[in-house]
Amino acid sequence: MNRPVEKRTIDMQIIGDWVEPGSRVLDLGCGRGELLDYLAQTKQVSSVGVDLDFLRITACVRRGVNAYQGDITDFMRSFPKRHFDRVICSRTVHELNDPAAVILEALRVGRSLTVGFVNHGFWKNRLNTLLRGRKVRNVVYPTEWFESRPANPVTIADFEDFCGKKGVRIARRALLLGDWKSPCPALPNLLAGYALYDLTR
Amino acid sequence: MTDDVEPPPEPGSVPRHLRPDDVGLAQPRDFVHCRPFLFQSGQELPGFTLRYETYGTPNITRDNAVLICHALSGDHHCAGWHSPDDRKPGWWNNLIGPGKAVDTRRFFVICANVLGGCQGSTGPSSTDPSTGRPYGTAFPFVTISDIVRSQKLLLDHLGIAELHAVIGGSMGGMTATQFSIEFPALVHRVLAMASTARESAQAIAFNEVGRQAIMQDPAWNRGDYPRDGGPRVGLAIARMMAHITYVSDASMDRKFGRRRAPAGDAAPDAFDVPFEVESYLRHQGQSFINRFDANSYLTITRALDQFDLAQAYGSLERAFAPVQAETLIVGFASDWLFPPEQNREIALALLRAGKRANYAELATDLGHDSFLLESEELYTLVRAFLEREQVVFDFTI
Repeated sequence: MNRPVEKRTIDMQIIGDWVEPGSRVLDLGCGRGELLDYLAQTKQVSSVGVDLDFLRITACVRRGVNAYQGDITDFMRSFPKRHFDRVICSRTVHELNDPAAVILEALRVGRSLTVGFVNHGFWKNRLNTLLRGRKVRNVVYPTEWFESRPANPVTIADFEDFCGKKGVRIARRALLLGDWKSPCPALPNLLAGYALYDLTR
Repeated sequence: MTDDVEPPPEPGSVPRHLRPDDVGLAQPRDFVHCRPFLFQSGQELPGFTLRYETYGTPNITRDNAVLICHALSGDHHCAGWHSPDDRKPGWWNNLIGPGKAVDTRRFFVICANVLGGCQGSTGPSSTDPSTGRPYGTAFPFVTISDIVRSQKLLLDHLGIAELHAVIGGSMGGMTATQFSIEFPALVHRVLAMASTARESAQAIAFNEVGRQAIMQDPAWNRGDYPRDGGPRVGLAIARMMAHITYVSDASMDRKFGRRRAPAGDAAPDAFDVPFEVESYLRHQGQSFINRFDANSYLTITRALDQFDLAQAYGSLERAFAPVQAETLIVGFASDWLFPPEQNREIALALLRAGKRANYAELATDLGHDSFLLESEELYTLVRAFLEREQVVFDFTI
């Protein structure tokens, strides 16, 4: 198994641990439906994923994961308060136009929200910027500047600051070192490579 | 649906109906229901006939049936050919056949001409046994629900107690959705393309212009006209106008631009046919009057206009409450008759009602008729929905 795939599965495991069996789950930026397929098989969730791409929706349909092609904010606005038990926003926040609006809307339609992101405050990223003076490139962000989508990198410090300002309660968090496996013992904004949050209002 | 014809096959090539991915020569059949049928309006017919075609064979467990529902101007002939000399095959021949997206080696495909239609099923042009003359405007008011309930009787007749899928575009999508509401235990999958849960004011408006063109034609004569006559001018104009709503600005411009019609077609009259798009629309109108009955057009457009699930059931969520099927809604970006938002609304309401639903959107520029498009992406999606494999992925690390 190559490293990105392994990282993907660790991510899924922690997200899965926080999901109640049989609950109703919404995945924002569901891709090809791997996570929801995993949650359907391990947690018997009923779920729907939202993504922008027709081929990814086709992949979801093929594996029996319900999927909706469209904008995630428009999608959430079509649902009443607390329609979902849990909303998942895994590795999507850095691609959002208005992250605050999406997160607050997700906390309206969902009882809880899982947010997972790569920590750009991680020491290797800092060193990379300091020494190379270039856009961060690693196994997670392998592309050159000129072939990348616009991204809005986020750090653990930024994110927790945001939660404090907006009154979002952090019920649980999982901070992992650069291997995305071992728990991060201290100085998370410097030492954690990956962060997962379980949020409520 | 357009009346475009296929180019003739190359001389010496395999006849089109004998191609390995073609269902070949199709045999229309009649289902005659001899008991009274009560319409939603309260009106009744002593019985009715539905003309239908089937392709493929039922499996032993009889759970591989796929019902295809046609649009306003479509019919039961959705795949194959009636004769080797036909100018074109069934209207969804690109989708249905051996090895195609709706694979007839795997599925038993059924398609019936709707009640109220004019291609062999009982409709306004059929003879009223009580008068010996065509029903005309005395034909009962038809709704999408009547179409669904009459086709359920056909399924009973064929011994089909469950449907692997119901598939349709435009009005066919409405019919498929209605099927899953009225017979939830029967329908496992619904695939509705370029459809809506509620005929909008704009769509009603377009239908009304068509109806007025027919009804203002003196030959309509309040619906009382001989079989070989009728409001040919009005029906052709109705068709020309409707045709514009099935395509798009971009696709018409690509197909015709501002090209002039060939000189041979143009009369010296300065008001006649300078542009190719005009002669094309006239051709569409003329082809249509040779195959469609004006009173059927009035009847079916009225059925479309009445379609409003939220109004009929109190709300869309209540309408969908009984649904057991998994639904796939497909919208097309350039469809301005039943635009993407109206398709999205069906999927969103199903999800709000806690049902299994999907929405996908194709970025074609061909307008409403995009559901008839030859598109590998669409075929792949349809196949994924109909033939999904139950693969258990190994997530162990």
